[in-house]
Amino acid sequence: MKIIQKVLAELFSMFMADARMSLSTVALVIIMAGLLKFAALSALVAGGLLLVGCLVIVIEAAVRDTRKRVAARS
Amino acid sequence: MDMAHLGVESSAIVAAFLASVVEVVEAFTIVLAVGTLSGWRPAWLGTFAALGVLGMLIIILGPLLGQVPIHYLQLFVGMLLLLFGMGWLRKAILRSAGIIPLHDEDLIFAKEKAGLEAETKARQSSKNWIAGLAAFKAVLLEGLEVVFIVIAVGSGHGMLWPAALGAAGACVAVLIIGVMVAKPLSTVPENTLKFCVGVMLSAFGVFWTGEGLGIEWPGADLILILFAAIFLAAGWATSQYLRKPALLAVR
Repeated sequence: MKIIQKVLAELFSMFMADARMSLSTVALVIIMAGLLKFAALSALVAGGLLLVGCLVIVIEAAVRDTRKRVAARS
Repeated sequence: MDMAHLGVESSAIVAAFLASVVEVVEAFTIVLAVGTLSGWRPAWLGTFAALGVLGMLIIILGPLLGQVPIHYLQLFVGMLLLLFGMGWLRKAILRSAGIIPLHDEDLIFAKEKAGLEAETKARQSSKNWIAGLAAFKAVLLEGLEVVFIVIAVGSGHGMLWPAALGAAGACVAVLIIGVMVAKPLSTVPENTLKFCVGVMLSAFGVFWTGEGLGIEWPGADLILILFAAIFLAAGWATSQYLRKPALLAVR
């Protein structure tokens, strides 16, 4: 039973190590899907926005984590 | 075979190989600790039992992938790759900037050995069982990640076999080198590998997610190289930027 719990915890942490980053990524994809379907956004513009959005999310997560750790140390 | 397909096929092999090296090294460290402390019988038994479970999972789940419409599969796998790849990239940036410590295989080896010693002292009669279970857990957990990487990198464009080949190559390479040196592979530049893998998985993630959303990328599969370059540049620049507060905090 403990092994199953550990496997599930490991699987969860694979995708949700930083919950805010993961939720932002899912939200970004949902927004892009919505823009493509309902706002008739050009596919290429949506692709560019998806790429830029992912970059912003990962950089923000790294900066936020750093700030938190530096504040905890001092 | 056209250049674009060859490019993405080799990207799949390289991504699966590099990602699997990281996971296999982690599993190898723990199996080595078990083997050194409790003998090789429980270490091998645990390892083969975990490989058996992983094999069954692949046999059961593998054919189901073929039943899912390709666009849904690309979208689902792309999102998982984004979550997984960006998570690796974030951690690699933080390690590279000195915010979190580097992964230390020697330390993991020592910790695993100490943990096993403490547990087997407490329950002497079940020493082999505990040791075998430790090897089983390590191989199963790290192996699950390898299976996921192979499926995620390979399933979007029917490249499961190239991705599986990359992962199998990583297992063989780590095993051969590990048996030759017979100690934790602490000299593997793990963070550099994780940085590269994070970059490649994120690039694959944007690519598959876009395809799943119906985006036709210019240059088809070749755009993966551009995505990887952009993620690499952004990750490197961020780690350079974050080095400053890290140094200030140490002082």
